Amino acid sequence: MELLLFNIFNGLIIGIFYALMALGLSLILGLNGIINFSHGGFLALGGYIAYSLSPVIGFWGALIVSPFIVGLLGLVVERILIRPLYSRDPLFSLLLTFGLAMIMEDLIRTFWGANGLPFNVPAALSHPLSQTYFFVTGYRVFLVVLALLAIGSLFALLRYTRIGVRIRAGNADLETVSALGINIYRLRAINFGVGILFAGLAGVLAAGRLGLTPTMGASLIMPSFVAIIVGGVGSLLGSLLGGIIIGVAAGIVTTYYPAASDVVIYVIMAVVLVVRPRGLLGQEGLLE
Amino acid sequence: MSHEGNDILDADQLHTYYGKSHILHGVSLRVGAGEIVTLLGRNGAGKTTTLRSLMGLTPPRQGRIRLFGQDVTGWPPHRIAKLGVGYVPEGRKIFGHLTVHDNLRVPAATTGRWTLDTVYDLFPRLAERRTSKGGQLSGGEQEMLAIARALLLNPRFLILDEPSQGLAPVIVDEVMKTVVAMRDEGIAVLLVEQNAWLALRDADRAYVLGDGEVVHEGSAAELAADEERVKALAGASLDTSASAAAS
Repeated sequence: MELLLFNIFNGLIIGIFYALMALGLSLILGLNGIINFSHGGFLALGGYIAYSLSPVIGFWGALIVSPFIVGLLGLVVERILIRPLYSRDPLFSLLLTFGLAMIMEDLIRTFWGANGLPFNVPAALSHPLSQTYFFVTGYRVFLVVLALLAIGSLFALLRYTRIGVRIRAGNADLETVSALGINIYRLRAINFGVGILFAGLAGVLAAGRLGLTPTMGASLIMPSFVAIIVGGVGSLLGSLLGGIIIGVAAGIVTTYYPAASDVVIYVIMAVVLVVRPRGLLGQEGLLE
Repeated sequence: MSHEGNDILDADQLHTYYGKSHILHGVSLRVGAGEIVTLLGRNGAGKTTTLRSLMGLTPPRQGRIRLFGQDVTGWPPHRIAKLGVGYVPEGRKIFGHLTVHDNLRVPAATTGRWTLDTVYDLFPRLAERRTSKGGQLSGGEQEMLAIARALLLNPRFLILDEPSQGLAPVIVDEVMKTVVAMRDEGIAVLLVEQNAWLALRDADRAYVLGDGEVVHEGSAAELAADEERVKALAGASLDTSASAAAS
């Protein structure tokens, strides 16, 4: 029983990482129309930058500053590399972000080395909160709470602020948004930056949980795409739900049949695609 | 009628393409201050393309566009809109998944007479339905929402693409009353219509497009008197308006 709970809890945490990734990917796919294969690269950079910053400004400082540095980097990449491709065939941006992912991975190898690095979280967070449930450490609870806070803020931003309303409007009809006096170049840049900020945040949190490797982003990106498809393309709530579902499902399967834990997410995706091709919360008619 | 010097719009020799197809072959249009100008023509004559060219949504490859005396050729849509152009697109283009209120929060913030409060006063029906999704509104309510959304830019120039499309006659009258009221407040109007009789009733001047060229221009009253000509235009709309959505 404890093993099952342990794996469910671990799965939840992995699912949170998937969800943070999937939300950023969904935002960028929705308004920018870009399938961002470099998202994992930004995630890894978030972790590594926090690693280098934390001796200087401490864990807490790095936790806040690193995602914003990564977000700014995202703005630069959007402005210089992505913007010229908006009106082109989607294949161009696909190839660009794919190449960018490889470049970022190798840059990390160059600067920080090919071997894994440990990222220490404050001692105050590393103790188990309970004797029986040794796996419920302060850091893991903190990670879940912080991620949920960040996701809640994102949903509030999209729901209540004018910029959020414009992003949601633009997902449906960007041209009409521009005819209403909105600079869609700036709107897309902001949206891309926010999506990348979430990758950066996921990177810092993941570093404290899984450690740092140059491929940490690459290994999270495929399940994140699966999360989007399971949750439904075009639905941010779906991406959140999809991430958590596949994370927890993989955790449960680990308990009973560890060898299948990597496969199970693709099985879930296949079942969802057969039973409900639009995904759990996807819009009708988008893919059917 | 001459409006030299105080033109709201002066479009000169516009050539616009969709990909390789040449749609507008040198269209020139003028709209003076305080005028309702209507742009008529059969489906496919280039009416919507003309409006899209003016808004910068499908920029012309040749020709000049001046708005309020300023050369705006090549400007992106948002800059043209912010200069004071309210655009009500064909098919209204309401954000169906957003509430009425959120639809009204999309336009860029401007200062002037039109605010959320004053557009709700103008269209009390929208105030009643402010929490409804745009997609759940009736056609008439959507048209009001599209006009309200354009008014929030506090425009000096309103461009409407077939506001009567798919609306019951009584609603159409209401929409046209609003358009005339806007003109009387000093907003110049460029109105594209399939329904030539309707447009000529309220317009000051008219242009007729045919195959991407201006084939007639003159006062609306003069054109309305030429019954054969209007019948030809109106007939075209009666034949095709049921089946074709795009022009």
